[in-house]
Amino acid sequence: MSAVADQNVGLGKFDRHGFDDFLAKRIDPTWLSDARKAAYAEFETMGWPNPRSENWMRSDLRGFRIEKYSIAHETETQTKLDAPVHLLEGVEIAGSVRSANGIVISEELDESLKAKGVLFGSLSRLSREKPELVKKYLHTLIDSSADRFAALQVAMWSDGYLLYVPRNVIIEKPLHIHASMTEGGSDLSHTLVILEEGAEATVLTECSSVTEQGSGMFCGGVELILGARSNLRDVSLQDWGQKVWHFAHKRASVGQDATLQWTLAAMGSRFAQVDQQVEMVAPGARSFVNGVMFTRDRQHLTYNTIQRHCAPHCTSDFLYKSVLQDRSRTVWRGMIKVDEGADKTDGYQRNDNLMLSDAARADSIPGLEIKADDVRCTHGSTSGRVDEELIFYARSRGFTRQEAILMIVTGFFQQIFDRITIESVREALGKAIARQVRQYE
Amino acid sequence: MEVDDRFVVVTLIEGEVYCIEDLCTHDGGTLGDGEVEGNCIACPRHGAKFDLRTGNALTMPATEATLSHEVKVEDGKVFVQLAN
Repeated sequence: MSAVADQNVGLGKFDRHGFDDFLAKRIDPTWLSDARKAAYAEFETMGWPNPRSENWMRSDLRGFRIEKYSIAHETETQTKLDAPVHLLEGVEIAGSVRSANGIVISEELDESLKAKGVLFGSLSRLSREKPELVKKYLHTLIDSSADRFAALQVAMWSDGYLLYVPRNVIIEKPLHIHASMTEGGSDLSHTLVILEEGAEATVLTECSSVTEQGSGMFCGGVELILGARSNLRDVSLQDWGQKVWHFAHKRASVGQDATLQWTLAAMGSRFAQVDQQVEMVAPGARSFVNGVMFTRDRQHLTYNTIQRHCAPHCTSDFLYKSVLQDRSRTVWRGMIKVDEGADKTDGYQRNDNLMLSDAARADSIPGLEIKADDVRCTHGSTSGRVDEELIFYARSRGFTRQEAILMIVTGFFQQIFDRITIESVREALGKAIARQVRQYE
Repeated sequence: MEVDDRFVVVTLIEGEVYCIEDLCTHDGGTLGDGEVEGNCIACPRHGAKFDLRTGNALTMPATEATLSHEVKVEDGKVFVQLAN
């Protein structure tokens, strides 16, 4: 594989001219073009998020300039990239999809799964080949009017990934998605996962830039739709370059007696704002979400999470843990929403923050909004510094400061590792965390 | 004002140019839109005041200084050495 030069030369910008050109170059079904046009009209009329609004008041977008980035076109991004891959070590997979700047460049899926009706590959391609399926589910969970980034994503998603698992089909081995970005590139990909009744799958997604200091923009969407009694394990590792702006809307809908295990790890990017919502839409739905954030330098990562209980007898359990170095900042704002009638809800959310420097800052804002009578909803948050005595003790036993900190950080994240059932993912996350620990003198 | 991907507040006070980080240490918000009164700037959100010359926090709710950057003026141009 070879790295590519700047692929953005000569491509359109994120403006009306660029959008018209983008649309003209695509071969989309009419319903999709119409949806794009409607969302772009919203994008044009909306302003960037108001810094006084609750979701954005702790975010500083002043350094973000969309005019610096260009649209990646399906026909123009075809070369594979040398961006690192971490989640594949020691894993036997059932299929893989790779993308560059949000455009799929390779697709593989076991023949036995194809025979069972499983679809896994480019969302653009499958929206042409399976229009009825994609039309039924695409952007049913993400609302383009949520904010300007959502409108942009709905209007101009470049490509992305579709996984469709038919009724009662169980995929034993994981499926792997790798998104890579060139220097200064943009990625507006969309992930759509549909599990029909009784289906099971594991999806490992990772994104990385060609260089550790890489810049660029990601504006993506994720929709996970779980039918009754289905079971999805989804792991995503965000490891973009240190100058990437990352905006994402992630949504999941969990059906009757279905189970979602969702792990999100964020190590990269200069700035990230992720709005995540999991809806338990039918009785017996269960969702377990694990979040790992490990920041350094001046990174600023924000996660706004909502666990919404729309039906009775559902369970949700969100655990987010952050470790902060240098002058980095994390914001976690979690909300458990329980609708009227969603009795016997069991909702839990927790955020723990470990500060490795005086200048780091973690904002933790848990919340509850309960409209039902008979529920159990609890939340908790902790923030604190590493005990210097622990580090001193480890150093007195022959460890370096860096090794001592890595041990403490690994121990802090252990609770999350214990909740991850896939061994290779635990190992890959452990390695990603070790890479993130900075050198101490 | 943006310098190397960071935002700063540059002021001219009694003929001297000063530069501090555009960051309120109370809630992490921006100071730049705040009102300037004498040597201080007041955070537009909660009113914490900072000394524009040193970055020191002067009033609650801020208790920690914001970063102060070294400034040099040559040929009418202002050069800023960002502090870490």
